[in-house]
Amino acid sequence: MRIGTARSSYRHDEALFDSRTQHAWLAILAVALIGFPFLADEYWLYLACLVAINIASTTGLNILTGYTGLVSLGQAAFMGIGAYTVAALEQKLGAPVLLNLLAGGFVAMLGGLVVGLPSLRVKGLYLAIATIAASVVLHFVFANWHAVTGGHAGITLVPAEILGLSFDTSFRLYWLFVPITILMVAGAANLFRTRIGRAFIAIRDRDISAEVLGIPLLRYKLLSFGLSSFYAGVAGGMWAYFFRVVTPESFPLILSIFFLAAVIVGGMGTILGAILGAVFMTMVPEALKLVVGWLPLSADATLILSPVRTIVFGVLIVGFLVFEPLGLQEIWRRIRRFFHLWPFRA
Amino acid sequence: MSLEFDWLFLAEIMLAGLGAGGLYALTGLAFVMIYKATRVVNLAIGEMLMIGAYLCFGLATAMNLPMWLAILVAVIGSGGAGALLERVAIRPMLGESPIAVFMVTVGLASILVGVVELIWTSEPRRLPEFMPATPVMIGEAFVPSKVFYGFLVAAVLIGVALAVFRFWRGGVALRATASDQQAAYSMGIDVPKVFSLSWTVAAMIAAIAGVIVGAVGGISSTMGVFGLSVLVVVIVGGLDSVLGALVAGLLIGVVESLAGGFLGGEYKLLATFLILIVVLLVRPYGLFGTHEIERL
Amino acid sequence: MRRTVLKSLLATAILSATAGLPAARAADKEIVIGGSIPMSGVFAFAGIGIHAGIQDYVKMVNAAGGIAGHTLRYVPEDSAYKVDQSVAAFKKITSQNKVNFYYGDSTAFSKTINPELDRAGSMIMSGASFATELNDPKKYPYQFVAGPDYTQQFGILLRYIAQQKPGAKVAFVHSDTEFGRDPIETSRGVAKALGLDVAIEIMTPPGAVDVSTEIAKLRRARPDFTIFHGYILGPIPEFIGQARQMGLDTQFMGTFWTMDNSTVMQMGELAEGFMGVMPYNYYYDQSAPAPMLDKIRAMRPEYQNVPYIQGFLSAMLYAESARRTLAAGKEMSAANLKAALNSIENFDTGGLIGVPVTLRGNTIPVGRIYRADTKARRMVPASDWIVLE
Repeated sequence: MRIGTARSSYRHDEALFDSRTQHAWLAILAVALIGFPFLADEYWLYLACLVAINIASTTGLNILTGYTGLVSLGQAAFMGIGAYTVAALEQKLGAPVLLNLLAGGFVAMLGGLVVGLPSLRVKGLYLAIATIAASVVLHFVFANWHAVTGGHAGITLVPAEILGLSFDTSFRLYWLFVPITILMVAGAANLFRTRIGRAFIAIRDRDISAEVLGIPLLRYKLLSFGLSSFYAGVAGGMWAYFFRVVTPESFPLILSIFFLAAVIVGGMGTILGAILGAVFMTMVPEALKLVVGWLPLSADATLILSPVRTIVFGVLIVGFLVFEPLGLQEIWRRIRRFFHLWPFRA
Repeated sequence: MSLEFDWLFLAEIMLAGLGAGGLYALTGLAFVMIYKATRVVNLAIGEMLMIGAYLCFGLATAMNLPMWLAILVAVIGSGGAGALLERVAIRPMLGESPIAVFMVTVGLASILVGVVELIWTSEPRRLPEFMPATPVMIGEAFVPSKVFYGFLVAAVLIGVALAVFRFWRGGVALRATASDQQAAYSMGIDVPKVFSLSWTVAAMIAAIAGVIVGAVGGISSTMGVFGLSVLVVVIVGGLDSVLGALVAGLLIGVVESLAGGFLGGEYKLLATFLILIVVLLVRPYGLFGTHEIERL
Repeated sequence: MRRTVLKSLLATAILSATAGLPAARAADKEIVIGGSIPMSGVFAFAGIGIHAGIQDYVKMVNAAGGIAGHTLRYVPEDSAYKVDQSVAAFKKITSQNKVNFYYGDSTAFSKTINPELDRAGSMIMSGASFATELNDPKKYPYQFVAGPDYTQQFGILLRYIAQQKPGAKVAFVHSDTEFGRDPIETSRGVAKALGLDVAIEIMTPPGAVDVSTEIAKLRRARPDFTIFHGYILGPIPEFIGQARQMGLDTQFMGTFWTMDNSTVMQMGELAEGFMGVMPYNYYYDQSAPAPMLDKIRAMRPEYQNVPYIQGFLSAMLYAESARRTLAAGKEMSAANLKAALNSIENFDTGGLIGVPVTLRGNTIPVGRIYRADTKARRMVPASDWIVLE
């Protein structure tokens, strides 16, 4: 419990961020986010957009896995649904961008509800494997439903356009993606202050007890699946506008594992954790590239890069699970606590 | 194709399916062994296969060992690797949620792939030929020699493994631990040792399966995909059932083969996973698995 | 004291931060070739060759004084054959250099990056993809393929087959990937037009362990010729081995990515008689005078694979289009570079390709049939150069 945050009104009590320090830091963050695109070059903007997309999807998976305790290895496939929906709507109807993104989210949500149906009967690992099955089936649909998905060649789409402004550079997309992601993260943060969010947490902690407490399990589990896939769908839609080509091979199983790893590495069941995890996991390969570039190795150093990246990916998953199960978020908290008490207690 | 149904074609496809199914069953056995003893769902099983195959490849090509010796050393080496993995990554997770341990094996899979690519690069390789090349005819049906001998080896090994479980002391300890850890402890069974044993033996079985799979289809750093089908096999059969793994292994092999033969290659994986979904909906604990009742 | 230290620290921090940002170098008198090269990952064997090929050609040109006073500079980055990393590399390289030419690593990348190329309008691109789709100058105005696209490769094979055995039965065996499916649909028509009978099309799932089922199908179709596509080595030896065991008499053939000498020779005994289409001369070819091959052999005494030749030729075509653009006194824009490239007719590649080449559409539709000779451990020509109209 922090000191100096006495609440004098209900509004104050309900606020997501309640202390002045927090507001100051938020303001700094906002300035940094607004200033960043003007300072960074195309490459960093590209990474920023990718990070925004990954944060959105990881936050979605965190709702399902971190908060509700249902492990899913189908997040990438749900992103695929969103991406294909957006691509098909954009290509065939030319519908407005924001509407497409929403539609992508909702169609993915429907997919999530269907996949979530067995979640009352099977749980734990069986559920994780059922979601793998769903990804295999979805991959088949993407690859073979030529009329809508364009088969293996996939769909190529034109840049997003809002009010005549074409979102064709990372700089412009940044202004589209970052607000959407912030909105989605804020939504998730608020969700867990409502009855629904608390029901999710109860289910995670012990689903049978939750049912005894009067939480309808099927409804809430499905809701969690739906929300999570909605996030994935919107993230997939952004992905489609970002890469502008959607193929069945765009969303492999390894991408689902990537998101699950991001949730684990960041810290399950915390909003900050999903953000940290997504940022960290997206940046690690790039950082590795730099490190390997610096190392005084022979010119062939790049040849070992890919295997090293694969190993590091695995080591991160195993390492965090074994040594820091609460993830980056816990490390962050420890650092913060240290500075809270800093001059008085080291 | 002619209008008349080609029965010989069906027979050949079924036999090919049984051949693949034998390998699924063998790998499934390794999987079930780990699950029974340690309750770990090991997603890295496909990668353990790969390690075995690559060790064998390395020994046979770089060190010029004769094939039989290479296989032997590879199997022993894989056993060591299995024990090491258990000790380093799985043991510390004792008592953690099954999901966390599952994710550890996912991470392990990635590490193993990386190690293989680091040493042998990701270029696909071929194991030296070591099986007789003359095809086998069963009746009029043609069975590729590798598939036939692969099945034979798998069948023999499964038989040996079952006998070991039944009669050897270590096997009995393993079964005891599987049925009740607490009781096994109190009877003086060294449970951590049993854990280690199960991983060692499973890794050895996986290595043999890997060598056969590699001999049939070549080896590459992506051959761990095989593990995905094995996952389906054990879920369909029931995670803790040896019999289930055997039956489901053959079943999945045949179904894949039929789907590939009559519908086309793209339907293979789809067919197996549709079976998985149906089984999960109808009998979530598998055909022969134990139905655990959850209590508060 | 403390404050000044802090200040100077801050200043250096800001300086170094901004220095790390858009570091556009003075790029006068320089022609930049960027590349997302798959130096690691599943396609590394090709990437390493391509990398060495481009590198060597750039070195050669610069040693000879560059192009009209411009030096060539090659800026590669590893892509690990993953689209997102290729795109990241592209963004990184193009934002830090004024790139004129780009080498992409895959079909997916070529498609993804195409709108960027159109928008930038300052560079043209080729790559490791021979996808049929790219051969559409309307849709892909700033890209080209340094060889025949996959459908044209099939076309060359089918034309050879029609010559050897009119009305022959042909089988297509391909993988269930975009790469594998690429030429199948279009080649069906080509085969028909040549009077060939496509007896069966077999699709294998990616990462297939055992192909006995597929072989059982192939055996029933009894094709005279079987063309593999969408593999590097994959299940091909297994197909050939089992087909030999069963006494199936069919001529097996492959396309570009299967056809490197070292890849084919990995099949051992089974390679004997394997045929396929190759748009370039092999490293060791001595049958005709080839000054470029001589230079390559002088630079690198050991065997260089066909991706090397492909990379080398790509760089040569980049250089040629730059030379023509500069000679005409035009600006180095994508449109001018591509127009210069399209003006290439009967161009002498110095023996990399055995006949003078002409760029048609976005491709160079030329190739020759080779046959594996396992005793010599070499691919030897089985036909003359075939140029598609």
